[in-house]
Amino acid sequence: MIEVIGLQKIYNGVAVLNIPSMVIPQGESFGLVGNNGAGKTTFFRLILDLIEASLGEVKINGEKIARRDDWKAFVGSFLDESFLIDFLTPEEFFSFTAKVYGRSEGDLAAFYETMREFFNDEILGGKKLIRDFSKGNQKKVGIAAALIGDPHILVLDEPFTALDPSSQIRLKRMLNELQASKNMTMLISSHDLSHVTEVCKRIVVLNKGVAVKDIFTDQDTLKELEEYFAV
Amino acid sequence: MIKQLLRQEWQKALRAPGYYKNLVVSIFLGIFLLYFSAIFLLLGLVLPKILGEVLPSHSPIEVFYGLMLYICIAGLSMRFLMQQLNTLNLPPYQILPIKRSSLVNYLLLKPLFNPVNYMTLLFVIPFSVRLVVSGDISEWQAAALIVAFVFIIWFDSLSASLLKRKFGASSWGILIVVASLAAIASLEYLNVFSFFDISRQLFGFLLSQPYGLLVLLLPVIGVFVLNKQFFAQNYYPEKFNRKVSEKVSSSGDFSFMSRFGQIGELIALELKLILRHKRTKSTLYSSIIFLAYGLLLYPNKTYQDNLSFLFFVAMFVTGTLMVTNGQWIISWDGCHFDCLMTKKIDTRTYIHANYTLLIASNIISFVLTTPYFLFGKQIVFYHIAAFLYNMGVNVIVYLLMAFLNTKRLELSQGSAMNFQGMSYKNFFVVLLVIVFPMVFIAVFSIFKLSEVAVIILGALGLFGLIFHKPLLGICESVFLQRKYALCDGFRKKE
Repeated sequence: MIEVIGLQKIYNGVAVLNIPSMVIPQGESFGLVGNNGAGKTTFFRLILDLIEASLGEVKINGEKIARRDDWKAFVGSFLDESFLIDFLTPEEFFSFTAKVYGRSEGDLAAFYETMREFFNDEILGGKKLIRDFSKGNQKKVGIAAALIGDPHILVLDEPFTALDPSSQIRLKRMLNELQASKNMTMLISSHDLSHVTEVCKRIVVLNKGVAVKDIFTDQDTLKELEEYFAV
Repeated sequence: MIKQLLRQEWQKALRAPGYYKNLVVSIFLGIFLLYFSAIFLLLGLVLPKILGEVLPSHSPIEVFYGLMLYICIAGLSMRFLMQQLNTLNLPPYQILPIKRSSLVNYLLLKPLFNPVNYMTLLFVIPFSVRLVVSGDISEWQAAALIVAFVFIIWFDSLSASLLKRKFGASSWGILIVVASLAAIASLEYLNVFSFFDISRQLFGFLLSQPYGLLVLLLPVIGVFVLNKQFFAQNYYPEKFNRKVSEKVSSSGDFSFMSRFGQIGELIALELKLILRHKRTKSTLYSSIIFLAYGLLLYPNKTYQDNLSFLFFVAMFVTGTLMVTNGQWIISWDGCHFDCLMTKKIDTRTYIHANYTLLIASNIISFVLTTPYFLFGKQIVFYHIAAFLYNMGVNVIVYLLMAFLNTKRLELSQGSAMNFQGMSYKNFFVVLLVIVFPMVFIAVFSIFKLSEVAVIILGALGLFGLIFHKPLLGICESVFLQRKYALCDGFRKKE
């Protein structure tokens, strides 16, 4: 469970994020939408303790996360390329991550098996370094690495952009399966309204750092969102 | 068009996020440059006298002609090793309707506008003025000499960039340069083949002829044409990057490190980082040269009584790897810092891994420098004290200072004369690490107690080692205070 209490991030006197209170229970798939500069990435970075909150705090399972290490054991995340160690091959990166989470070689082999469809034979087996991969394949590596430690909470920023259409469909399927089988909490931001409504049961719309909509998805949600963003 | 490009390059420099912090570095460099300019000017003024004394059989100007070929070769190798390639981020311009030849001309000619390239003129001009005053050469000859040097500078800088673009700044290139310099020097020394005589006759003849300068201009034009041809064949960036993308990971299987748990994993990661990036790798190679630094100084009688200086050398030599690579610790993780901060790696483990890496590099350098023990008991004493001091005190100083440097290290750049990722804080490290022990010993030596001072420094180091756990605890809390500043700084690309 993620609790957000009076969270504010202020840059140069302007509040770029202001969330008085929000609770994301375990197992919820939480979609974050909003135009550029709405504060989506800032919110995720605050949850991952990569920036300091100006006011308020984030708690995971009742524990504060700021400047702590414990939460890292069960949170998997991929926001951008700085979450990749790009001078490694994908295998080296996965094996590093697996060891960091205390997983064995056997666990890793089983993990590769679950990722086979998503990787589509484009990731493993080569000797190419991650920095030489295309953006889309880098994204696959990053998302997979976020899943190695069997996280209870998964945070993904724009996971669908740069992926090819088939991979987008595979990712959606994989996320839905993970949610159903492991009761994983998912925080996903996206500009693609139809993708995010297909994966997430709850959608929050951010505008200039404020949550202007907080709705549970049903068959009308996509239409409602499209109307909201129409200009 | 070229004016526009120059302007945008200027804007790029001004608008880089690190510019204002870099200002301090630039000021330091500026002082450095002024110092060298002053030395060059002075050298030019006294050069006629020196040359007359070294080779009395020839007149100073003849000796100088003899040296010109050497200056040309030395300039070329210096530029090959140090000069940054003038790169323009081509793709955004390639799609604009700009003539291809303007872009290429810009890339080629920009270094020729860099005043630093013309430093040699600082001693050539006073030298020729001095010779004109003393009546050794005519004004015409002096003017020809200066123009000839401008041509040499153009030739050097154009051919250096051609060679660099062709062969890349690989370590082989450096080896070839050093080997060919050694070959030329030994041929001269063994009187097999004298470049000196050839140069003396060649330049002596050319610079006394009215059209001699035009002949000198020919090689410059030649290299320029070769450069243009190179670009005609390799205009597309994919051709430049070919070497990079074909490279596969072969270097480094450090799986044996995993038996040391997470710390071992992190150290294996840093070792791969060092071996897979140009900048860190070439720094590592250059530290081999630094290891030999003591050979220059220990046999020298003038330094043997200067104990604080001796201790400095001992510290430098026994800590070579830390001095060269340790200054980049943490900031070389800048490009994947978010990864390290969100994966299940305890802050304590991360700090400990970096500490262990510094300690290990000190042990390696110390072992490699044990041959210096042959210089006598005093050196053994100094080396052990310096080693302890490095291990106990300087390692912690390096760690703490690394937390202050919020600029990420761009690893793919070359290393020689590269100040990217440096800030004034790096100068503080130097001050703390070098100046403090030197002053400490100097103060004690006033009372003839410098040996005691060295023992105290060694003991300090020993204390640092014994109490490394609480010291690392302090490092950890400082790191946690600095964490957000580091994350924020590392996200900014330069």
